Amino acid sequence: MADPRTHRLRLWTSALVVGAVVLAVLLVPPLVQLDEQAVDLSQKLLPPSWEHPFGTDDVGRDLLLRCVYGLRISLLVGLVAALVATVLGTAVGAAAGALGGWTDRTLMRLVDAFSSVPHLLLGIFVVALFRPGVWPVIASVAVTHWLSTARIVRSEVLSLRTRPHIEAAISGGASRRRVATRHLLPAVLPQAGLAAVLMVPHAMWHESALSFLGLGLPSHQASLGNLVQSARSSLLSGAWWPTLFPGLFLILPTLAIAGLAGTWRDRLNPRRRSELML
Amino acid sequence: MAARTVRRATAALATGALALTTAACSNPGADTAGSGPKDSAVVGIAYEPDTLSPLLGYGKDGNSKIFDGLLAFDADMKLQPALAAKLPRVSDGGLTYTYTLRPGVTFSDGAPFTAKDVVFTYETILDPKTNNPSRTELDALKSVEAVGDDTVVFHLKYPYAPFAERTVHAIAPEHVAGGQDVNTGAFTTKPIGTGPYVLTGWSKGEKLTFKANPTYWNGAPAVKRFTMAIIKDDDVRATRLRAGDLDGAILPPNLAAGFGSDKGRKTYTAKTYDYRTVTLPTHNPVAGDTAVRRALDVAVDRQTMVDKILEGAGKPAYGPVPTDSPWFAKGTERRHDLAGAQKILDEAGWKPGADGVRVKNGVRASFPLWYLSGDKLRQDHALAYASDARKAGIEIKTQAGTWEVIEPRMKTDAVLAGGGSPGDPDFDQYLLLKSTLAGDGFNNMAWYDNGTVDRALEDGRRTNDPAKRKAAYDTVQRALVANPGYTFLTHIDHLYVVNDSWDGLSTQIEPHDHGLAAGPWWNVETWQPKNNGGTKK
Amino acid sequence: MARMTGRRALAAVPVLLGVTLAVFAVAEASPFDPVKAYAGTAGLTASQENLDQLRHNLGVDQPLLTRWWEWLTAAVTGDLGDSAVMRRPVADVITERLGWSVLLAATAFLVAIALGTLLGVLAGRRRGGLLDRTVSALAYTLEAAPAFWLGLLAIWFFALRLGVLPAGGLTDTASDTVTPDQVARHLVLPALVLGVSQLPWFFLYVRQGVGDALDEDPVRGARARGLAERTVLTGHALRAGMLPMLTLIGSRVPELITGALLVETVFSWPGIAAATVQAATAVDFPLLAALTVLATAAVLLGNLLSDLLYGLADPRVGFDG
Repeated sequence: MADPRTHRLRLWTSALVVGAVVLAVLLVPPLVQLDEQAVDLSQKLLPPSWEHPFGTDDVGRDLLLRCVYGLRISLLVGLVAALVATVLGTAVGAAAGALGGWTDRTLMRLVDAFSSVPHLLLGIFVVALFRPGVWPVIASVAVTHWLSTARIVRSEVLSLRTRPHIEAAISGGASRRRVATRHLLPAVLPQAGLAAVLMVPHAMWHESALSFLGLGLPSHQASLGNLVQSARSSLLSGAWWPTLFPGLFLILPTLAIAGLAGTWRDRLNPRRRSELML
Repeated sequence: MAARTVRRATAALATGALALTTAACSNPGADTAGSGPKDSAVVGIAYEPDTLSPLLGYGKDGNSKIFDGLLAFDADMKLQPALAAKLPRVSDGGLTYTYTLRPGVTFSDGAPFTAKDVVFTYETILDPKTNNPSRTELDALKSVEAVGDDTVVFHLKYPYAPFAERTVHAIAPEHVAGGQDVNTGAFTTKPIGTGPYVLTGWSKGEKLTFKANPTYWNGAPAVKRFTMAIIKDDDVRATRLRAGDLDGAILPPNLAAGFGSDKGRKTYTAKTYDYRTVTLPTHNPVAGDTAVRRALDVAVDRQTMVDKILEGAGKPAYGPVPTDSPWFAKGTERRHDLAGAQKILDEAGWKPGADGVRVKNGVRASFPLWYLSGDKLRQDHALAYASDARKAGIEIKTQAGTWEVIEPRMKTDAVLAGGGSPGDPDFDQYLLLKSTLAGDGFNNMAWYDNGTVDRALEDGRRTNDPAKRKAAYDTVQRALVANPGYTFLTHIDHLYVVNDSWDGLSTQIEPHDHGLAAGPWWNVETWQPKNNGGTKK
Repeated sequence: MARMTGRRALAAVPVLLGVTLAVFAVAEASPFDPVKAYAGTAGLTASQENLDQLRHNLGVDQPLLTRWWEWLTAAVTGDLGDSAVMRRPVADVITERLGWSVLLAATAFLVAIALGTLLGVLAGRRRGGLLDRTVSALAYTLEAAPAFWLGLLAIWFFALRLGVLPAGGLTDTASDTVTPDQVARHLVLPALVLGVSQLPWFFLYVRQGVGDALDEDPVRGARARGLAERTVLTGHALRAGMLPMLTLIGSRVPELITGALLVETVFSWPGIAAATVQAATAVDFPLLAALTVLATAAVLLGNLLSDLLYGLADPRVGFDG
């Protein structure tokens, strides 16, 4: 649908943005070595300028720095959460696909049940009942996002089961576990990996929604969602920059990661129609 | 076919949207409160009462709109008779309080108010089966009895000097509330009282609406309809005030500042006893160290906090008593002195380590400071405090949490706390500093243990002699300078922005917990609409 | 159709039961203390004895299954318990607020469908064109943008900067009664934001469908026969593009609920989603449990609707003329 040139442009832009994000997130904190919580009340709510490209927040902290740190946390939580969700989903999907029968049916019922609850609601429910903090947020993401991975892995496993080399291994006397670890898992990993990467933006979104509602990370570990939440009072005083920039910092990496992952997916599954989802 | 339907729907939607926008644009002022009759008022508050039953704690500090107490506080926080005809007679060395009731008072349903309603109210509150979380405030009361229809006698367990101030508590009608379950009966949401207003509706989470009580014993109010909108979010409240949706609202300093140049509105600053403090737990090896405590006390820049975090709406706090109160001990103010703080620490053996954080006997000067998540004011105070402390070489790690998280850690971790009640100094100093109350719920969170202070608190409570009481509370405040188990930071003013449509507005001195009893509408029943109808925007 | 509905209804029961049990189980594992939540700020200075008395009075010291069973049997009769945060029966909270959420959701859906279809058709007609590329890029960006962020920016722009629309609430606070014109004014911004946040999916789906349909043989044949572009578009492509999208509307209910949770909070819309967030923040268990189950039921209903519509639409798919 898009011509190869646009495709390549998209690929390179995404790669560039992702690269920049990774660099910023990894290099800035050790280089700058600032206590990002140190306040300087005399500098509160300054609009964007050369000295402070994103302005300052309401206790005088440089907003660009806060956004970078916030992105770091959002990204970290998103990555870990996506990983946990993928591991969980892979385990369930592989078990369902490999074991089949009663296990398969029960697990799929479970998947259906879980997908009947709107994911943010389920996430809210989980963090509401446990103290808001990093691990409940990760658990909340994991509990809501393992479903698609489970389905994908299950269908991969099901199609793999009928492949000749698997059948050969089984009839050759290999134990179930051996078949699973030596044959199934390696074949499933690319799909699972792709699902994990595609999940990161969504995990970040989920975490920022939770933090915005006050149910996510505590404010001393401010993620981008926390930043938007604390920007609300400044918004009414007319300061738009504490609200705008954290949001942009959330959107850009999301688009970039989705763009990259989309290219990977098209390469992995050329037959599948481009799905529309990030 | 589907396409035609869709096209029609789109057209309809577009027309609808256009119509809506036109309507919205053409009548910008039509729905605003200001152009309505000035005998009604709508205000925005932050906290919703849990219940409207005095038996469960509503109206314990007076100004309950629907009820009256035996006494009431006026604008200068002096006690005036309300349901009582005059101030009580105190006898038996402060163990007996006798009140004569005002004759001819009726509840809004017409039934007469008599002594049995008073007895019913206080006895029900003292009953353990009543779910009243503030029962401890009436701890001194042993029993109450009616003598005839117009006299009530209170018997105390010990001579409690400020007892009369507790009798501003709202009185519930025995003939209505007596026949129901005190905790779940309809009375908690459909109250009947003797007060200036009658509740006409309570839309939970949204608003409470009142109308004037025409048979009120002190004269029917001029403001006939009064609405209190519950808007927990400061930003939303400010926006709705700006949009003309509200006539008045309580606002944090930075948002109230935005209305400063507004000609049609006035900003009221209520002085308060509402302080913010950092608890320095005795059981923490660093925070419990007296040298560290004294150093932190002078290292913190209180004035900058007042200027920048409170936008000037407040004052530095050196103890629970505000600096402008008659109970304040003169001479206990501390200057911001970073060099002095460093000297105190150096002399006590806290030497700066490689990263600037001080060390003594292998113990690093570092401790966590918790603040309530979602509370921006506390967060800002905590961050500023930690910043100041760092300059003196003490590392304070700020962390956000809910009370569930903070509570188990209060014994060893510092907490950014708030509190304060006006009126008698006993009310919050006793609960804050008495060593026997250490760790009892949220009282004495720092487990402060100072024998001098303990003795002075008991002395102050059990005597009626004003001079002796002043001396006792002075002792407490001086003891806090020598060993500040809490670093008091600021007393915050409560800011209210109100349309300039009425006369007679004032504010009282307010406590920490500002329910609907506080604000310039504490006496909305005495507001008089301005003649010119007020100016808008 | 009736059989499928019946079977689905039957299948929904164990799902809902399971969800309720899971809800109670999670609450059991939670470290929160409902007594402190009930006592509120007064609980901060109450004595330990006082709090223990409250605990006993509220009945929270009973075992899990007992409480679950009691809740379940009461719920079936319509008694869903009392909400601590709203201080009234949960059933009342739901009946009062559900209507407003439905109004918001329905309006937002209409906005999303109408705009999505319009833009999707225009973009699908000329894929790769300027309009297509601009709107598609915008759609992907919108999809990545959090709804609450959009809401805040919308408030800043329309309510604060321009001052043309109210910034929150359902009605103006001064009035005791709810009038349609007030509600309409207050509905515009939240519905717009919620609709726009759901828009990308509708747009991309219609665009895909219309674009693909326009490439197909029947359309080429129609064009070759000399039919006007407009007829081609509306007669074939639109139906082909829209039908799948319409049938899948029901499956978008979860996304809608998610969006509503954020939009209702930002705009203080007194709907059921805002109540859910309040219940979660205050750990008001009865309300939270009831609303979670309600949301699940809504999703199941949405899925059923989707499947029913698909079953209805299928024999009439217009590719074959």
